Amino acid sequence: MCTPSQPTTSPPDRVSFSGKMAQKSASSLNPETHLLLDQPLLRLPHEVLRKIFKTSQKYVEQDSKKLSELAKDATRSATPASPDASIASINTMITRMQGLKRKMENLHDEEKLVHSQSRKRTTHLNDLYGLSSLLDDGYGKWSKVRLDRLLVDYMLRNGYSESAKKLAHEKEIDELVDIDVFLQCWSIEESLRRKSTTECLAWCQENKNALKKIKSTLEFELRLQQYIELVRERKLSEAVAYARKYLSGNFDSHKNDFHRASCMLAFPPERPGPYKDLYAESRWDHLVKTFVTTHHNLYNIPQGPLLHVALSAGLSALKTPSCHSTLPSSRSNTASSVTSLCPICSTELNDLAIHVPYGHHTTSWVEHDLVVLPNGRVYGTRRLEDLATKLGLGPGRVKDPITAEEWDSEEIRKVFIS
Amino acid sequence: MVPGPPALHTTFFHFHYITFCIPPAADGTCITTYTYTDTDTDAATLREPVDDDTSGCTMDAVEKELDRLTGRANLAGSIRDIDGCLELLVAAKAAIESDPTMTAATMAALETQLKAGFDRTNDSLKEVYTGLNKYGKALDKKFKLVNMSDYDVLSTHQPLINRAIAMHLLREGNFSIAETFIAEADLAAAVPPTLEADFRDMYRIKEALRLRDLGPAIAWAASRREQLEARGSNLEFELHRLQYVVYLFGGGEDGPRKALEYSRREFLPFQQKYLAEISQLAGALLWREKMTASPYADLLNSETAWAAVADSFTSEFCSLLNLAAESPLYIAATAGAIALPTLLKMTSIMKEKKTEWTSQNELPVEIPLPDKYKFHSIFVCPVSKEQTTDSNPPMMIPCGHVLAKDSLQKLSRSGNRFKCPYCPADSMPKDAREIYL
Repeated sequence: MCTPSQPTTSPPDRVSFSGKMAQKSASSLNPETHLLLDQPLLRLPHEVLRKIFKTSQKYVEQDSKKLSELAKDATRSATPASPDASIASINTMITRMQGLKRKMENLHDEEKLVHSQSRKRTTHLNDLYGLSSLLDDGYGKWSKVRLDRLLVDYMLRNGYSESAKKLAHEKEIDELVDIDVFLQCWSIEESLRRKSTTECLAWCQENKNALKKIKSTLEFELRLQQYIELVRERKLSEAVAYARKYLSGNFDSHKNDFHRASCMLAFPPERPGPYKDLYAESRWDHLVKTFVTTHHNLYNIPQGPLLHVALSAGLSALKTPSCHSTLPSSRSNTASSVTSLCPICSTELNDLAIHVPYGHHTTSWVEHDLVVLPNGRVYGTRRLEDLATKLGLGPGRVKDPITAEEWDSEEIRKVFIS
Repeated sequence: MVPGPPALHTTFFHFHYITFCIPPAADGTCITTYTYTDTDTDAATLREPVDDDTSGCTMDAVEKELDRLTGRANLAGSIRDIDGCLELLVAAKAAIESDPTMTAATMAALETQLKAGFDRTNDSLKEVYTGLNKYGKALDKKFKLVNMSDYDVLSTHQPLINRAIAMHLLREGNFSIAETFIAEADLAAAVPPTLEADFRDMYRIKEALRLRDLGPAIAWAASRREQLEARGSNLEFELHRLQYVVYLFGGGEDGPRKALEYSRREFLPFQQKYLAEISQLAGALLWREKMTASPYADLLNSETAWAAVADSFTSEFCSLLNLAAESPLYIAATAGAIALPTLLKMTSIMKEKKTEWTSQNELPVEIPLPDKYKFHSIFVCPVSKEQTTDSNPPMMIPCGHVLAKDSLQKLSRSGNRFKCPYCPADSMPKDAREIYL
C-alpha cells in the first residue's frame, strides 16, 4: 500500500512492545484473588453445618436431661419387689433413647450430604489452581460453570425458582448451588408479601439463639406488625393483650417504638396523625427487607446477587466511550466479516451498560500499521487487505468494511498513534 | 448516549491527576478537594502482584479441615455413644428380668453408666464443634471477607438483566430453560420475538455439522448469499470446499468421481472469485493417495477443518442477527471476575483515604484485561492523557500524528500555527481532520 507524506520522524513502536509486556501480566491467572466471587460456595454450607450441629446439641441436651431424670426417679423407686415398674421405666427410657438416635441419624444424613457437597465445591475451586492463564481453554470452561452458578443464584434470589432448578439440573451443577436455602427464604418472603407473619415467626423461633447473638430486631418488628394489624382492625383490647404478651419483654431495647405503638391506639387508620408510618403498607416491604438481610447474614451470604457484582465490574472493564457513541465503531461492527461486535455494543448488554462508567486507559490500544481512509475512518492495514482479498477486489483497491465505500489504495494514508 | 464531559480528569500538561472530593463537613461549609496523583507507584499498589509464586497456594488447608469433618468430626461419633447407652438400657432390662433381686443395684449402676454415656456423647459433639471451628478458620484464612455489595450499581435494573439472561439462554441453546425463565420473569415482550426460532435454526445446523452433514449449512448460506457476499464472507464457498474434500476422501473408490461431479455442479457461481482455490481443489484429485505429504494437506477432512467451518458459521449467523459472536453475558461476567480484585482494592484504598470517586463516567483505575477482551480501538491523547469521546474526538494533523480535539485547541490557542508534540512539523489547526476509530 502506498503511504504518502511520511512524517519526518516516525514515532517508535512503543505500543507493541509495552503491549506484549502488559499482555503477559493481563492474561495470568491468580486463583487467590480470582475466587472473590466464589466464597459463598463454601461459607454457606459451613453455616448449614453449624446449624445442624446446634440442633444436634439441642437434641442431646434435652433428651439427656430428661433421660437422666427418668433414670434418677427409677433408681429411687426401684425395689426388688417391683421389678416390673423398673422394667417399665427402662422401656420408656429405651423409647426415648431410640427417638434421640433417630433424630441424630437424620441430622447425620443431612450432614453427610453437606459434606459431600462441600467436597465437590472444594474440588471445583481447586480446578482453578491447575490453570495458570486466562487464555487457557480450561479457564473458559471453568468460567462457564461460574456463570451458570451466578445465574442460578440470581434466579433464586429473585424468585425464579423453576428456572433456577431447571438450569442447575440441566447443567449438572446441583451440588454447586444452594437451592433449598434460597427456596425457603423466598417462600418466607412471599408469605410476608401476603401479609402473613406466621412463617417468618416460625423461622425466628427456629433460629432463636443465632438471632439473639446478632441482636436481631426482626422478631420484634414482626410482633409489632401483628399488633399494628390488630389496631388497624380496631380490635383494641386484643391489641393491648398482644402487646403485653409479645412486645413488653423488649421494652428496654425498644422504648421509642413501644411508646409510639401505645399512642397509636388513639389514632384510627383513617386519621393516622403522626402514626402514618406505622399504618403504612410499606412497612410490609420493610419487613421483607429486614428478613432477607437477617437471613443472608445468618447464612453468611452476600446481600445482593453476585451476578450484579460480576456484571458491574465486567461491564465497566469492557466499556469504552465508543460503546454508546453515535458514530459506528471501526472494529466493533457486524457490517463485515473482518469485524465483530463487542459484547457491550450487542443488544443483550447495551442498555444495561449505559448505567456503568467506562474503563480507564492510560495508553492507546490500536492495530498495527494504521491507515486512514478518505472518509476519515481508521483501520489496520491487515484488516483492509483481508477484506479486499475476501471480496475479490481488484489489485490496489480497498473497501471500508463499515460504510462499503471503495477507493484506490493511492488515496489512503498512514496515521500514527502511540 | 453521548458521554458527558470527562469530569474526572484535570488536564495539566503531561501529568495526570485524578480528583477526588472529600464530602463536605457536617456543617456543610467546607468542601475540600483532595488531589491524588496517579503516578506509577500509586498505580502499582492497585495492581495485583503478577509473578507471585502460587505453587504453594491451593485449597489444601481447607480440604484438610474438610477431611477432619468427614473423618472424625461428625455426628457418627455421638450416634455410636447413644447406641452404647441403648445397649446399657437393654442389658439392664435383661439383668432385672433374669434376677429381680438385683433391681435396685442394677438401676443404680444404670444411672451412673448412663451419665457416663452422655458425657461421652457430649465429648463427641465437642469434637464436631472443634472441627467446624477449625474449618471456619481455614475458610476465613483462604477468603478475605469483602463487602461486595459496595460494587453493585445494577440493583435497580432487573428488567434489563433479565432480558440479557433470556437472550443468553437462547443463544446457548438452552431453550427449555429459556422458556421457563421467560414465563417466570414475564419477559415475552422484552425478548426479540424471532430470536428463539433463529437460534433453534442455528443449533439445528450446528448439530448437523457435528454429525458431519454440511447440507443444512450450505442451504442456509445459499439463501443468504448476497448478505454474506456483501460482508466479504467466504462461508458458502468454504462449506462447498469441505463437501468436495469429504467426497474426495470419504467416498471410497467412487470418491474422485463424486468430487468431480460435485465441483462441476456447485463451483460454477464461485469460479470467478475463487479461481485459484478451485484449481487447487482440482489438483487435489491427483494427490489423493498421499494427501498428507501433498501441497493440499491443509484441505484434509480434519477435526480442525470442521471446527473452523462451525466457528465461521456461528460468527456469520450471529453477525447477520446483529449480535456479538460469543455470549456477551459470559464475556462480561468473566471480565468482571478478572476486574474485581483490582476494583475492590481500589474501593478499599479510597475508603482508607476517605475519598470518594466523583465521576460516574470513567473508572478511576485501569483494569488489565487479556487482548481477546478488547474489542474497540482506544485512543488516549498523548497530551491530555484522556480517552477521546464523541465530544472530544481524535484529530489527525498533517504529519500523521493524532491528538484529542481539546488538546489541539489548547496547543494552537486562537487558531495559530503550532508544533506537533511528536515531531518538528508545524501545523495549522484548520488542517487537522477528525478521524474515526
